[in-house]
Amino acid sequence: MEPIYQYAWLIPALPLAGAMIVGLGLISFNKDTNRLRQANSIFIVSLLGAAMTLSFALFWSQLHGHEPYTQMFEWAAAGDFHLSMGYVIDPLASLMLVIVTTVAFLVMVYTDGYMAHDPGYVRFYAYLSLFSSSMLGLVISPNLVQVYIFWELVGMCSYLLIGFWFNRKAAADACQKAFVTNRVGDFGLLLGILGLYWATRSFEFDVVGTRLQDLVASGAIPGAIAALLAILVFLGPVAKSAQFPLHVWLPDAMEGPTPISALIHAATMVAAGVFLIARMFPMFEGIPSSMTVIAWTGAFTAFLGASIAITQNDIKKGLAYSTMSQLGYMVMAMGVGAYSAGLFHLMTHAYFKAMLFLGSGSVIHGMESAVGHDAAYAQDMRMMGGLRKYMPITSLTFLVGTLAISGIPPFAGFWSKDEVLGATFAANPVLWLIGYLTAGITAFYMFRMYFMTFEGKFRGNDAAVKQTIRNEQLQAMGLAFGPGAMDPRELTMEAAHEEEVHSDDHHGHDPHESPLTMTLPLLILAVPSTLIGLVGTPFHNYFEAFIHAPGETVQLAAEAGQETLSEFYVMAGSSVGISLIGISIATLMYLRHKIDPGAIAAKIPSLYQLSKNKWYIDEIYNELFVKGSRRLARQVLEVDSKVVDGVVNLAGLATLLTGEGLKYLENGRAQFYALIIFVAVLGLVVFSGIT
Amino acid sequence: MLTADFPWLTTIILFPIAASLLIPIIPDKDGKTVRWYALTVGLLDFALIVYAFYTQYDFSNPDLQLVESYPWVPPLDLNWSVGADGLSMPLIILTGFITTLAILAAWPVTFKSKLFYFLMLVMYGGQIAVFAVQDMLLFFLSWELELVPIYFLLSIWGGKKRLYAATKFILYTAGGSLFILVAGLAMAFYGGEVTFDFRSLAAKDYPLVFQLWIYAAFLIAYAVKLPIIPLHTWLPDAHGEATAPVHMLLAGILLKMGGYALIRMNAEMLPAAHATFAPALVVLGVVNIIYAALTSFAQRNLKRKIAYSSISHMGFVLIGIASFTDLGLSGAVLQMVSHGLIGASLFFLVGATYDRTHTLMLDEMGGVGKQMPKIFSMFTACSLASLALPGMSGFVAELMVFVGFATSDAYSLTFRIIIVCLAAIGVILTPIYLLSMLREIFYGPENKELTSHEVLVDAEPREVFIIASLLIPIIGIGLYPKLLTQIYDSKTIQLTARLRDQVPTLALQQSQKPVAMNFSEPVQAPAIR
Repeated sequence: MEPIYQYAWLIPALPLAGAMIVGLGLISFNKDTNRLRQANSIFIVSLLGAAMTLSFALFWSQLHGHEPYTQMFEWAAAGDFHLSMGYVIDPLASLMLVIVTTVAFLVMVYTDGYMAHDPGYVRFYAYLSLFSSSMLGLVISPNLVQVYIFWELVGMCSYLLIGFWFNRKAAADACQKAFVTNRVGDFGLLLGILGLYWATRSFEFDVVGTRLQDLVASGAIPGAIAALLAILVFLGPVAKSAQFPLHVWLPDAMEGPTPISALIHAATMVAAGVFLIARMFPMFEGIPSSMTVIAWTGAFTAFLGASIAITQNDIKKGLAYSTMSQLGYMVMAMGVGAYSAGLFHLMTHAYFKAMLFLGSGSVIHGMESAVGHDAAYAQDMRMMGGLRKYMPITSLTFLVGTLAISGIPPFAGFWSKDEVLGATFAANPVLWLIGYLTAGITAFYMFRMYFMTFEGKFRGNDAAVKQTIRNEQLQAMGLAFGPGAMDPRELTMEAAHEEEVHSDDHHGHDPHESPLTMTLPLLILAVPSTLIGLVGTPFHNYFEAFIHAPGETVQLAAEAGQETLSEFYVMAGSSVGISLIGISIATLMYLRHKIDPGAIAAKIPSLYQLSKNKWYIDEIYNELFVKGSRRLARQVLEVDSKVVDGVVNLAGLATLLTGEGLKYLENGRAQFYALIIFVAVLGLVVFSGIT
Repeated sequence: MLTADFPWLTTIILFPIAASLLIPIIPDKDGKTVRWYALTVGLLDFALIVYAFYTQYDFSNPDLQLVESYPWVPPLDLNWSVGADGLSMPLIILTGFITTLAILAAWPVTFKSKLFYFLMLVMYGGQIAVFAVQDMLLFFLSWELELVPIYFLLSIWGGKKRLYAATKFILYTAGGSLFILVAGLAMAFYGGEVTFDFRSLAAKDYPLVFQLWIYAAFLIAYAVKLPIIPLHTWLPDAHGEATAPVHMLLAGILLKMGGYALIRMNAEMLPAAHATFAPALVVLGVVNIIYAALTSFAQRNLKRKIAYSSISHMGFVLIGIASFTDLGLSGAVLQMVSHGLIGASLFFLVGATYDRTHTLMLDEMGGVGKQMPKIFSMFTACSLASLALPGMSGFVAELMVFVGFATSDAYSLTFRIIIVCLAAIGVILTPIYLLSMLREIFYGPENKELTSHEVLVDAEPREVFIIASLLIPIIGIGLYPKLLTQIYDSKTIQLTARLRDQVPTLALQQSQKPVAMNFSEPVQAPAIR
């Protein structure tokens, strides 16, 4: 089995090679490369397929108890400082490799259908391949510096892909917001890594953890500093995994093409934060206060995301908030020490959320033929309805995903979410209560989404709905530009928008089912979304036996006895119960229309507005940070050009005037220099005469 | 045939200058022969540089190599003495590389092209001389020599306010170089023996007070060049008016002279004063990083924006120089080379964009990415390099400075924490201004006003080639930094040891350096502050 380990570096290298070859082609022979559309995509998909095969082989080998394998080479050195890079293949890495390659593979296949008519088809594949490479590099990183490197690279890919349709203003803003917000997290992560290196003289995950604990135990480092370092490191995952307060970029990131939302912003990159917590688990575990912070951040984010998702009308935004909420569950699980449960949820969520997003992409694709290529209409659930009739496969798979995320047995999400909740209950009942209530809300908003999209009758031709959306959009635009801001681009935006809507000639048809390249990945993803939970049942937890925290012995349920199992039945029963309540309310409101959602919203307007406006967090940040930093920058520039420049010029001028230098300068530089050198040499003669 | 006795460095310096003298007699009717001539000279000299270092230079030897010394003006004790060590060698290579590319970047120059290429070739030799000479008077002369061509390049081919910018540039730099002359002469005349030789000067034993005065004088001179805030205000003006090729030289090479001289003279010759001044350098470095990043963010003029970003990046050089660690100093040198490449590439792209949009104001651009996808992608790649994206050289350099400074035992823990946190704010600010810039130039719907009267053609192969040539080393160093660090780190290690000897607590430690992991390190007593 050794050779496959020796060649494990090929897993990130293959997609990288694909991206580079196609990228070079795009730069040097743009026209020809773009003409060979599918040749490029087949090339890239097959390279990723090879990486996937290799990943499965490694996974299989790890499953059979192969020793973890590490390969290193020296990367940077200065004096007695040496920094090595390389890769490590252990159960966690091999699991992540399989998750990333499978989802990426299916998303790439799907992309062929989704982006078929896009002029940037080839470029999109190049970016996708680059992202896959960075993400795969991230999961096999053996130390913190390498994690940081790939951490930033996936962030860069996310930036490029969110801004893929760069002519859209919203996409341009969103990609920058994503990168900068992530940089705030990276700021913490970088400081944390530096601090940990200062304290432990190491970048290795386990060495850092054990040494830090030793240092705290021996009193060489105060516990508070250790906790601070841990929290700084945690800031990285907070940004990457869209946890409060750095979650603001994720919903906006939905401006990118939908395959990206599925791959990067649902299944893989955003889970990198959870992955990093898992890698650094030996460190976090030893610092209880940091664990508390992690757990509460996760719980609050789970609730925050769910509470916003209730009122979203954009199908992708709704899913984005749901992703944020589910990531909250994973982080919370990590925070209460439920290592395996958190990663189990990461795995199940990767599959069912990728499927949900791809499903939403399929819906948007179908809607575009009915309402035109305008994201505002094609993604708004108020324009949808009754799509089950038109898109049976999409609706079926979406239903599977909805059931999975709502925690209905035997779908995947049930097992993992239940394990998370069970572990949380054992650690802290308050946290459990938050998670438990959030599970109910989750079931509600997901079924609301399903019913609004696929049930009832099609509303795509309803002029009144269209007008409402248009008004909302204008209002939002006005807010963004500020009333009377006189931004010249406001007018061009308007014009561009009108043009976009009217130049569309082929809308007005019925929505249609997507092509096979899109539905096939959906169908394939439905399989793990349904079944993969079964590897982690409390009756026989294969998952935990394979993935468990370093240094932790696995206690199988069979040994733990009947007590744990009966506990499981109570927990599972209650969480299924609250999910069913959520589903029932959603049914009454959006399927049977027995309850009018508008009436409820009117009854509690403040809460409704709070949720609809995302708790006003964007507005607050805009006032505080965006405008604040702009103001500060302008002030510094003022000072620079008026004060600093003036003072230094004046000082220089004064010296020159006293030396009558200016006069000589006008006559020519030669004399000026002669004078200067003469004076200086004279000064030196005097100087040496004195000493 | 060509042996170690061959005057390599002298040839490298004088060849372009001699070649430049032939330009007036070259028959050149359409202004196209002379650019090929200049490019050939540039390439030949660059090949000579690479060949000389590859065959004659021992990378593991920290001492001066390829040394030549001939008496020039004996009564003045002026020697033509050149040599290269780990500090100058990477910068000489960088100079050859960037200047050759700048000549290629100047392809469209048709106005007084003979004079232009003449000045470029003189610059070529002058710049290398600054890095190669080993004699104080000679250093001063070449420092001045390289100002003259830049003055003309700015004042003849610059933008609208070129005369103001050129005069300001010359006043600042010449004013600064006065300090070099005075301080240099003072050093030369100190003690019994009068010498201008760098190594003899470094070997002299100056009293601390004398060192402090000299250090301060040098610092002012090099602070203008690097630049260090508040002596930086010539730079946005000069950079704002320069054409792309001149820009590449200014940002790619001239700024590095400040850093180089700071290490060569302030640190290497005056180590005791360096121990005193180092904390001030660190503070100035942090001010550079944050202050310049903020001003860059507020700038609406593209060239000035990038100019300020250069100032911001030079802050890391200062912190690295003052870190008293192998890693930090090595990072400072790496940052100079890396910024030389990245700064040159960004300024070239700014020029290329300006050639098409004919405006530098961000408000008048917008959405041009649709018609210029190649420039868009190259600009993105270079901006990402500039914001220290991993996989590119800037990241490695900044990381080395960060780790080097954070683990430096010369400073107290509190000082280090504050500085590292503040410097790391730069990590957030840099993407804000660079990505905002990209967004305002390329993203969003097309600016109809611009596209209605400007023809936006995409990059031509020459431009792609220039950027590719710059990106290959940027990415190469980023992927495998040892590629570059190993050719100079014997020198930085030697220098760090010399610097550490001057810090009392560190010198003590040096002699009883623990081999094993030292767990008590974090609570160690501070050496400085």
